[in-house]
Amino acid sequence: MNDFLELVVGATASGCIYGLVALSYLLVTRPTGIINFAVGEWSMVAAFGGFMLLSRWELPYPVGMLVVVAAMFGVGWATERFTVRPLVERGAPPLAPILALLGMLVVFRELVSLGFGPDPQPVPPSFGFGRLELGPLAGSYQSFFIITMAGAVFGAAWWFFERTLAGKSFEAVAIDRRAAALMGINLRLVTSLAFAASAGVAGLAGLLVAPNVSAHYLMGLPLAIQGFTALVIGGVGRVEGALLGGLILAFAEQFTVRYAPVPPGLAMGVPLVLLIVFLLIRPTGLLLPREARA
Amino acid sequence: MKSLLGFVVAAVVLSAVAFMLGSYQTDIYRKLLLWTTLALSYNFLFGIAGQVAFSHFTFYGIGAYAILILLFQVGLPLPLAVLAGIALCVVLALVVAIPATRLEGFYLALATLAFAQLFIVVLNEGRTVTGAAGGLANYRLPDVFGVRVTGPWYTVVIVLLLLGTLAVLWRLDRSWFGRACRAVRDNPEAARAMGVDVARTKIIAYTITSAMAGVAGMVYAFVDNTVNPPIFGLPNSFLLLFMVIVGGSGRHAGAIIGAALLYLMPFVLSPLIGHHHALVFGVVMVAVVLFQPKGLIGLWDALMARRRAA
Repeated sequence: MNDFLELVVGATASGCIYGLVALSYLLVTRPTGIINFAVGEWSMVAAFGGFMLLSRWELPYPVGMLVVVAAMFGVGWATERFTVRPLVERGAPPLAPILALLGMLVVFRELVSLGFGPDPQPVPPSFGFGRLELGPLAGSYQSFFIITMAGAVFGAAWWFFERTLAGKSFEAVAIDRRAAALMGINLRLVTSLAFAASAGVAGLAGLLVAPNVSAHYLMGLPLAIQGFTALVIGGVGRVEGALLGGLILAFAEQFTVRYAPVPPGLAMGVPLVLLIVFLLIRPTGLLLPREARA
Repeated sequence: MKSLLGFVVAAVVLSAVAFMLGSYQTDIYRKLLLWTTLALSYNFLFGIAGQVAFSHFTFYGIGAYAILILLFQVGLPLPLAVLAGIALCVVLALVVAIPATRLEGFYLALATLAFAQLFIVVLNEGRTVTGAAGGLANYRLPDVFGVRVTGPWYTVVIVLLLLGTLAVLWRLDRSWFGRACRAVRDNPEAARAMGVDVARTKIIAYTITSAMAGVAGMVYAFVDNTVNPPIFGLPNSFLLLFMVIVGGSGRHAGAIIGAALLYLMPFVLSPLIGHHHALVFGVVMVAVVLFQPKGLIGLWDALMARRRAA
């Protein structure tokens, strides 16, 4: 039973990471229709930012985290400004920005491998290494920190989209770009902000997961695939869907590894099978987007 | 008739080159021909039929593994093993295509990406059948009618594979089917209104090109005489996509240019930047999408148009 509850805490923490990456996709996909595979590389870049600021320069954790997330906003903004906007303004086919971002994925990865070499680098956890017991629930400090941070981000995202006018304008763009533009919503600004926020969220996920997996130049693509699987499971329409999808994926993954009688190598196929099944049977995901309200 | 003559000349010239190379150049030459073959069939799938699939390189791997398993573990004679291997590729392609081509746009890419990753998982867990992480090695091509095909003569086989692939794709592209594929790519609704069966066109295009990749994989299996999971991983799938886009998607000449350029680039760049040529791939890819959406073949077209105007 203790073992089970420990697994629950660990799986919830991983699920929160997947959920954050899924949210990062969703922030861009909802208003623009662009699937950005480079989100995994954004997480990777942020993990190396964490390595520089927290391990090498030993800044206090909150300061390092703020600087990394702020820098990632800049990275996201610049990515949109220089690779996506020229294509959108030229009226290029919808596939073009997706392919340009796929190229950027390779550029980010190789730049980091050029700068930091192929070895994994350590990134410290927020409160050091230790175990926290909350009644029957036990897990590492970092697991609880991840859950708290993800809760805060998803809370903020939900509040933004449901309760603020700016959030409603994002939603309006998602429902109908042309109509939104006619209503005086600044499409450029919404797209810029969507990319910046997306990079910020992806960066946070990278920073949070880095103590467990170390910063490594190949860590991006697995995160990108897991995050995408979470997004497909939960549905691209709703913020809560991203978190729900992440949690379902993490629980399926970790419970198979722990309890199912299959070799651990094959258990790595679980998220892939889950992705294929959901794409084929329910490509809209579990949660449907709200209908446009009159 | 004229194009037939062209193919014969190309076959003679490309084969003649094979007899003039040392063993190191032969290795590079063979792989260049194989990459070109793959880029041509992927160009049909991605550029002409408009399907963003990441499974093309996976079918290359399926072909390579299938022929080895059928020859040395099932014990089939070579001609039967080739036929069975093609049949396996066709069946697998149908299994992927029938549900996956219903998916819109980039969702197809994701389903095929998951399929590609799943193939690697299966290879790593296949124990003695696939040789797990170490792959399969220590085998050689069985004799064909008592003749051992080696050295430059095996390169000739690859030349014939390349030209055969090009000929089939050329014919397909100029048939009603090629036009149906382009129509489906550009506007599925309009294509449907004109009486094109959209789903069937997508499935046939996917299956034919995937089977072609499988055949290329069978030939590849006896180039290095070893296959292992990392060869068939995602980096090479991405590289194939980059080749087609950089060269100019939807054009056979573009696929050939892209494959030659990106395959040979590392040999030129290695002395300058070591093994970081992937960075150059990424930069070239982004630059082409941003500034030259028709690919390098588009530059050639512009040049020709200007000469004609002058």
